[in-house]
Amino acid sequence: MGNKRKLMFEIMRGFVAIAIAIAVAFIFILICADNPGKAMYALLVQPIFSNGVFNLNSIFIILGRMTPFIFTGLAVCIMFSANEFNLGGEGTVMAGGFVGALIAIYVPMSAGLHPAICILAGAVTGGILMLIPALAKIKLDASEMVSSLMLNYVIMYVVLHYLNNVFADRSKGATQSYPFLETALVHKMVPGSELTWGFIVAIIATVLISFFMFRTRWGYAIRMIGINKSFSKYSGMQVGGVVILSQIIGGALCGMGGAIEVLGRYGTFLWRELPGYGWTGITVAILAKNNPIAVPFAAFFIAYLNRGCELMSIYAGVPAEMLDIIQAVIFLFFAAEQFMAKTRQKMVVKDTKEELAKAEPAAEGGNA
Amino acid sequence: MFEQLMNVIFTTSFGFSIIRITSPILFAALAAVVAEKAGVTNIGLEGIMMISALFGVLIAYWTNHWLVGVLGAVVVGVILALIIGIFALKLKTDIILAGIAINLMGAGGSVFLLYLCTGLKGNTASLTTPNMLTPKINIPILENIPVLGPILSGHSILTYVAFILVAVVWVLLYKTALGLQIRAVGENSHAADSVGVSVLKIKYIALGISGALAGLGGAYMSMYYSQSWNNGIVAGRGFIALAAQAMGQGEPVGAMLSSLFFGFASALGNKMEGMQGFSSYLVAALPYAVTILGLVLYAATQVRRVKKHRSKKEEKTL
Repeated sequence: MGNKRKLMFEIMRGFVAIAIAIAVAFIFILICADNPGKAMYALLVQPIFSNGVFNLNSIFIILGRMTPFIFTGLAVCIMFSANEFNLGGEGTVMAGGFVGALIAIYVPMSAGLHPAICILAGAVTGGILMLIPALAKIKLDASEMVSSLMLNYVIMYVVLHYLNNVFADRSKGATQSYPFLETALVHKMVPGSELTWGFIVAIIATVLISFFMFRTRWGYAIRMIGINKSFSKYSGMQVGGVVILSQIIGGALCGMGGAIEVLGRYGTFLWRELPGYGWTGITVAILAKNNPIAVPFAAFFIAYLNRGCELMSIYAGVPAEMLDIIQAVIFLFFAAEQFMAKTRQKMVVKDTKEELAKAEPAAEGGNA
Repeated sequence: MFEQLMNVIFTTSFGFSIIRITSPILFAALAAVVAEKAGVTNIGLEGIMMISALFGVLIAYWTNHWLVGVLGAVVVGVILALIIGIFALKLKTDIILAGIAINLMGAGGSVFLLYLCTGLKGNTASLTTPNMLTPKINIPILENIPVLGPILSGHSILTYVAFILVAVVWVLLYKTALGLQIRAVGENSHAADSVGVSVLKIKYIALGISGALAGLGGAYMSMYYSQSWNNGIVAGRGFIALAAQAMGQGEPVGAMLSSLFFGFASALGNKMEGMQGFSSYLVAALPYAVTILGLVLYAATQVRRVKKHRSKKEEKTL
């Protein structure tokens, strides 16, 4: 099958998966909404259009929400590309956000430099923390999946300890830190919206990571190791080092995303549980088929659904948690290699027949 | 401070709470053991527990009987595990991703399913009646023995089921034909296939058993431990169970010991919460940190063993 056909098939398969998920959503909506038509409209159309015109405000909300998804999505892309099921995204986002927040509160700096240093500190924190599951895997062959899952909880409780017992602003009713210094804030791109300059950083990160994965030898090594570890080893690649590198970059991206989110969205640190971006990042990476270039589109899609479910709960009374079911269904079908395998088989057969038909007259001509 | 701690640890109520906290983790850890023995990693335990805990309560409420609720939770657990199986084995989704999808569904989806079924938002506390809760069992004779009695007697019937299941799972794995097939498939599926074992069937069966066990764990959470369902009810116990399986070297008894260790650490954390000079948050982090440490230490001993083995071989060849 030609590359173009392959791409067509993948796109078609994606649409079928999404269609199935929306059908499932529709069934649920039929059961629990008083006005199913209104609910579907709120879910699918209202995030972008309202009253027949573009709803810019809502679009900015979607773009703002997809920013952290892009960072965690890219991180998961790289980590899973090396065939490491590192699930520590959740924790490193929180840790990166917290360290970034501390620098934003306690270390005065000039306005231009401050957010950059905070974000960098978040990235370094994330990278260092990811070393734990990565080293345990490479040096000792301990399951990175289990250790990274446990790491999430360790990070969460340690952050909560420092937030509650050391850095809490006691003048506030809820547990939170002191407000960030004015200089440290990641500013809004459009005043009054949720969209910050973090979005631009996320797009730049996408470009850089795509370049890294497809145009550098390190990226190549990561992808090869993911495809066949033993072969990469015998062809002389430093498998251990490359895998560790991939996990550090993943952690750094998560930490960066966490810091940008905290500095852009809120004026103070107030996460009291794991923020959930790590898991969303996995969904995004699956939708993007581990291809960094596709990550922003997948992140947009998830943020769109997110906003749609929110609107649906406001206007049609359907709980926004339906999002998780839609996401899970899409996730399952996207990740299923054999989903629609019969159609693919038919396409291959058709393709081959066409090629044979083309080749035959030529061959006959040659004989004569 | 130390003395205060010792005073807490050497009480029967502390022993009782260890067992109480251990039980749900033990169910899920056994689920992880069975699945892993067949070479399938069931990372969806968290989501399965979440959803089966919900349906356990709902079915018990509808039928007004706890036993039907528990059975319902088991059935739901099996169904979810088989969904993972269908996607992983038939449609070739990576099994870890299929598990993550079930966890996603469990996290927010269960809140939605609750609303769909009852119109309630977030928890089922308003539904609970005494008939829905699994009964506590006082064991005759044992309950009158000092120290042991108050620790071991008076738990939910499911607690005893959990500890009995450790033996049952061991017997299943090591003394039955099915267990042999499960282990064979897990160790070398091609070899198992070549002697006529249906690899797919065995993997489905192992996943089904693991779903049933996780379902029991879910039922324990909502129908005894919390006495109702809420959206934070499982709180990572499915993940802890995976760690318990790994730390317990994939064996039922080992998984039980690591589950007990978790129970001990959590119980300690609960008791220390009110004490001066301890941060309850850091204590809460302890079991997770120790698991990472335990995994690393276990892996290190394995690596050393392999190295020793290799160097011995080399000596022989020299």
